[in-house]
Amino acid sequence: MIALENLNYTVVQVAHNFGAAAIVGGSVFALYPAMQAVAVQRKLAWLVGAGWAVQALSGMGFAAVSYYFYGKLPDIHGIALAALLIKMLCALGGFSIAVLYLRHAAGWTMEQRRAAWQRLIALGVTALTAAAFLRWFA
Amino acid sequence: MRLFYAFLALLVFGGPVPAALAADASVTISSPREGAKSSPKREVDIVYEVTPGPNGNHAHLYVDGGEAVVLRALKGSQAVGPLAVGVHEICIKVVNKAHTPIGTQACVNVNIE
Repeated sequence: MIALENLNYTVVQVAHNFGAAAIVGGSVFALYPAMQAVAVQRKLAWLVGAGWAVQALSGMGFAAVSYYFYGKLPDIHGIALAALLIKMLCALGGFSIAVLYLRHAAGWTMEQRRAAWQRLIALGVTALTAAAFLRWFA
Repeated sequence: MRLFYAFLALLVFGGPVPAALAADASVTISSPREGAKSSPKREVDIVYEVTPGPNGNHAHLYVDGGEAVVLRALKGSQAVGPLAVGVHEICIKVVNKAHTPIGTQACVNVNIE
């Protein structure tokens, strides 16, 4: 049964890892080494938005697996809990910006687009940094 | 999407196993003893030994229900406090890699006076 529990956590972790790769990689590639064409940016916005959604859902997945197997949620406190809250806020912010981009970027200037991508990069980097604190302070 | 379905299938067909999971795990608090007395001027040393079993990974120490510290060492001592005057419950719970209590724990009450 431990194998099944570990497999569930692993599946969730795989989704979480690829979500993290999508949100940071997609955002960075939109601007570096050069700002991408508008059509490519739109595809990247879909990727990054989906990545943030996967991050949020897989984050909840960790809790769901714990609750399913033990009837309890993970027990974290202090710095780890603060890091988790930061990650949740980043996911909310990142997903929102990606949705705004997909719905309204057609009327944005290049500078507004650049600012949106810069904010997405900042949120992704913040979330990944918080993840390290969550991992080692829990 | 297929991965998501596979995950759902695991949850649906895996079945809950809470009671059996903690079977081989154990926690022993050898000091302080139940009802031991201490002073509000000094820390309380908790001497413990944890056997995580197949499902556990490490342990969390709680004072009056609040998590005080993560115990990564499975055997040793941990100081808590100083604690305020009164009776305090000190518990050590075995948790898994995701920090979820697996149901194995030991508790002692300490009287600070």
